Amino acid sequence: MRSLVATYGRGLTALFCGLALIWLLGLIVLPQLFMLERSLWWQEQPAEAFALTKRIDDLYNEVSLLEFDRRAAEGEEVAQLEARIAAKRAEIAELEAVEVAPVRVYGLANYVKMSGLHFWIFVKTIFYAMLVTLLALVVCYPIAFAAAQLASPANAALLLLGLVVPYAINELLRVYAWLMILDYQGVINSFLAWLGLVDFEKRTWVPFLEYPGAVFVAMVYAYVLFMVFPMYNTMETLDRNQLEAARDLGASTWRTHWRVVIPHARPGIAVGCIMTFMLSAGSFAVPQIISRGTGGDWFSQLIYRQFFESFNWNVGAAYAFTLLLACIVFIFLVMRLAGVGIRDIAK
Amino acid sequence: MAAPPERRWGEAVLNLYIVVFFVYLFAPLLVMSLAAFNDFQYPSVTQWRGWTLRWFGELARDVRLQQGLINSLLIAMGVIAISLPCGLAGALILTRLESRWNGLLYGILVSPILTPGIILGISTLILWRNLGVPGGLFLACVAQSSFIASYCMLLFMARLQRQDRTLEDAALDLGASNLMVFRRITLPFLTPTIATAAVIGFLQSIENYNTTVFAIGGQWTLVTEIGSRFRFGLTPVINVIGVIFVVITIVCAVIWTVLRQRERQMTIR
Amino acid sequence: MRGQNVELVDVAMRFGAFTAVHPTDLVVEAGEFFSILGPSGCGKTTILRMVSGFLEPSQGEIRIGGTPMRGIPPNRRPTALIFQNLALFPLMPVWENVAFGLEARGVDKPTRRARAEELLRLVALEGQGHKRPSELSGGQRQRVAIARALAVEPAVLLLDEPLSALDLKLRQHMRTELRAIQRRVGITFIYITHDQGEALTMSDRIAVMSQGRVEQVDTPDRLYAAPATAFVATFVGENNLVRGRITRAENGLALADTPLGPLRAANPHGLAAGAEAMLFVRPERLQLGPANGIDNRLAGTIARRALEGPYLHLAVATAAGTELLVHATNRGGLDAWQVGAPVEVGFAAEEAMALPTGPLAADA
Repeated sequence: MRSLVATYGRGLTALFCGLALIWLLGLIVLPQLFMLERSLWWQEQPAEAFALTKRIDDLYNEVSLLEFDRRAAEGEEVAQLEARIAAKRAEIAELEAVEVAPVRVYGLANYVKMSGLHFWIFVKTIFYAMLVTLLALVVCYPIAFAAAQLASPANAALLLLGLVVPYAINELLRVYAWLMILDYQGVINSFLAWLGLVDFEKRTWVPFLEYPGAVFVAMVYAYVLFMVFPMYNTMETLDRNQLEAARDLGASTWRTHWRVVIPHARPGIAVGCIMTFMLSAGSFAVPQIISRGTGGDWFSQLIYRQFFESFNWNVGAAYAFTLLLACIVFIFLVMRLAGVGIRDIAK
Repeated sequence: MAAPPERRWGEAVLNLYIVVFFVYLFAPLLVMSLAAFNDFQYPSVTQWRGWTLRWFGELARDVRLQQGLINSLLIAMGVIAISLPCGLAGALILTRLESRWNGLLYGILVSPILTPGIILGISTLILWRNLGVPGGLFLACVAQSSFIASYCMLLFMARLQRQDRTLEDAALDLGASNLMVFRRITLPFLTPTIATAAVIGFLQSIENYNTTVFAIGGQWTLVTEIGSRFRFGLTPVINVIGVIFVVITIVCAVIWTVLRQRERQMTIR
Repeated sequence: MRGQNVELVDVAMRFGAFTAVHPTDLVVEAGEFFSILGPSGCGKTTILRMVSGFLEPSQGEIRIGGTPMRGIPPNRRPTALIFQNLALFPLMPVWENVAFGLEARGVDKPTRRARAEELLRLVALEGQGHKRPSELSGGQRQRVAIARALAVEPAVLLLDEPLSALDLKLRQHMRTELRAIQRRVGITFIYITHDQGEALTMSDRIAVMSQGRVEQVDTPDRLYAAPATAFVATFVGENNLVRGRITRAENGLALADTPLGPLRAANPHGLAAGAEAMLFVRPERLQLGPANGIDNRLAGTIARRALEGPYLHLAVATAAGTELLVHATNRGGLDAWQVGAPVEVGFAAEEAMALPTGPLAADA
C-alpha cells in the first residue's frame, strides 16, 4: 500500500481503494450476505391475526353487498342502507388499524424443508454436472494437447480459431442448434426416417430430447472452450524436449501423459474442471432450451421458478445458496485433489 | 527420420479425432444457419420449403428484438464503465499490496468468476430490492459488472506483473506529479490491456443470459428476448440473428488473422 | 546548473530486523565526482535511494545544499537519478524522454523541443530525437538517460551502476565521456558501482562500503596506496596477504612474526606488540631476484606463470605453503622465470602494510 501511495499519491490511491471497496462490498460481499439473510427467514402470520384478516375480508364483502342493495333501493331505505354501510366501514377502519403485519421468523426451515423431489433434483443436478465435467475433460484433453504440443504454430492458431468461432454466437443459440438436431423431427431423426428406421407418421422417432444425454451433449458443446483454454495454456508451457526425453527413455504414450503431461497441466485441468462444473451446475439456459421451456429438472430452473413463478424469494435464496455451497465445496475439492492454490486460478 | 509405426497410428487416430471434434463444433452452426434461409414458419432444415430471405426482413421489422439490442448495448457500455475502473483498481492494489491479506482479497475478487451466473443475478436482485431498486437495465448492469470486473482484473494483473516499475520511479524522480505518472507512464503502458478488457467485457455482457435474466426485471435484452421466445413461439428470425453473429465473427477473425500476418511480416522486415 | 553538497548525518536504514545501512556520516562536496564502491548488497543502492527520496532513512538526516530533505518526495528534490536499467520510457520518442522533466514543470512544448535538442547535442545525439529508445544502441540509450536527467537541471546527479549493461569497450569509452560531461556541467555526481576500475578512473573521491558500513572515504590514489582496512586492501586492487602477530612496533614500523618468518611492514594504525595483524603487499611491489638493502626476503619456487605482454604474472609458492603473486614489468630477460624455477622475492618495509585483522573482500 505504501508503494501505491509513493507512486500515485494519496488522492489516486484513495480513489483506487474506493473503487475496489465499492466492487468488493457493493457487488460481491453485500449481495451474497443479503441473499444468505433472505434465505434464513420466512413470513408467518400469528393465528389470531389470521382470524382478524378473515373478519376484515368478510366485512368488505358485506359492504359491497350493501352497496349493491343501495343502488336498487328507494325512499327512506337509502338512508338506512347508507348508515349501515358507514357503520361497516368504520368497523373495517378500526380493525385494519390493529391488523398485524406478518412476522419474520428466522431459522433454517427454507433449507430443511426442501421437499424430497427438490432434493433429488439437486443431487441429480450435481451428479450430472460432474458427469458433464468428466465428459468435457475426456473430450477436450486430446484437443488441448494437439493444439499445444503437436501442431505447428500456424495450425495451432487455426485450431484455436476454430474453437472460438462457435462461441461467437450466444449460448442460447448454440444450444438451440442442438435442439434442431435432436428434435423429434430433427436432423438425426429425419436421417433415420430416410433410412427407414423410424416413421414420423407412427411417431416412432427416437425421443433424444427426453434422454439426459441430450443435455450432456449440449452442455459439453456449450462449455468446451472453458475446458480447452485453461488446459491449452498450461500445456503450451511444457517443454517439448520433455516429451521427447520421455519417449526416448521408452515410456509408452499413456505413461508419458500420465507422468509428464498431466502433472504439468494440473493447474489448467483443475481450472477447466472448476469452470465447467460451475457453468453446468448453474446452467439455466441449456436445460431450459433442451426441454423447450416446459418442465425440465435442473436445479437452476427450480430456483428460477421459486423467484418468478411461486414468488417465494426466501426459499429461492435458500436454494441458490445451497447451489453456491455445492460449487464452493467442489472448487476446494478439486484444488485439494490437484494440489493447486487459488493463485493458479487465473487465465 | 521415419516415425515408428505405432506413433504414426497414434497420430492418425488423433487427427481423425480432431476432424470429428470439429464436425461436432460446426455441424450445429451449419444447421442453424441453413434454417435461417428456409421458407417455413418454424426453424427447421428437415422440412425444406425453398430458399428465402424473408426472415431477414422480419428481423428488420421486429421492434422488440431491436429494442433488446439497444438495451444490450446500453448495458454493455455501463458494464465497461464500471468494470474497467474497478478491475484496474483491484489489480493495482493486489500487485502492490504486500500483506497476508493479499490472498484473501484476491480470492474474494476472483470469486464472481467461479460463482454460477444465476447466483450473481439473484443476490444482486435481493440486495437492491431491499434498497427499493427493482430489476431493470441498471441492475443487469450492476450484476454483470460483478464478474466482468474480475475478468478485467485478471487481465490487468497479468499486464502489471510485466511492468517495469523503475519507469514510474524515473518519472517521479524527474519531477512528475503522481497524476502525471499515472497519466503519462502507467496508462499508456496499460492501453493495450484496456482495449482488450473493454472488448472482452463487451462480449461477455452482450452474451450474458444466466445473470441477466434474474436482474433484468420487466425489461429485456437481445439475449433474454431470445430466451423468452423459446417459450412463446420461435420463428427463423432467431436463426437470422445467429447467422449475423457467425458472419461478424468470421469477418473479425479473418481481419485479425490478416493483421497478425502483416504484423509478423513487418517484424521480419 | 550549480552543484550542491550532500550531507549524511547519522543516517541509518533498517528493514525490519535487517540493517541495510548502519549509522553513517558522509559529506559529498559540491561539484564533486563522488563514487560509492562496494560489492552487491553492501548498502550503496540504499544510500542512493535515500538521497533521491524513494526511501526515508530510519534515523538521521540528509541535507542537500544545507536543506534537510526529510519528508520531501523524489519529485521535489534537486536530484536526478540515472537508473541501472536506465528506465527510458519505451513508448515516448527520445526527445519526449529528454523533455519529460520539463513537461512535469509545465514548460510549453516548443521550448521543451528546443531544450531537448540542445541537450541531445550535449550528449552527441543531435537529430535523433524522433526515434524510439528501442531503436538506439546501448551507448546512445545511456546518453539519452544522461540528457534526460540533466534536463531538469539537478544540483546532484545520482547514477546507479548505469554502465553495467554495456560491453567492456563501450564501458571504457563511457567512463571518459561521463567524466567529461561532469566537468562541463559542473554539478555533483554521486556514482554507485561495484566496479573498482570505474570508481578509480572517474572519481574525485570514493567511499568504499561493506555490509552497510563505510570503510573508507578517500581519493583514488590514497585508497590504493593506503587502504584503511583489510576489506579495502583486498577489494581495491590486488594484494598479497600474510597473517601474523606483531612482535615489535616503533617509528611507524612493525615487525611481525608470520608463517613466512619475521617480516617488517609499515604500521599506520600503530598496532602494538602482541596484536594480531594482517600484512598486505601489492604484487607489483615485490621484487624478483637477489637485491641488496631490502628488508624482507623470501625464497620459493615458481608455481604458475602468465605473460601478458608488458607484464609478467607469477605465483610463487613459499616453503610455508602460502602463495605470493608477483607482477613484474617486462623489461626483457624474463626467460629465466619459468615454472619450477627457484626464485627469491623481496620487498621494502614501507611497501608492506600491517593492518588490524578484519573481514576481507572475499568474505563479503
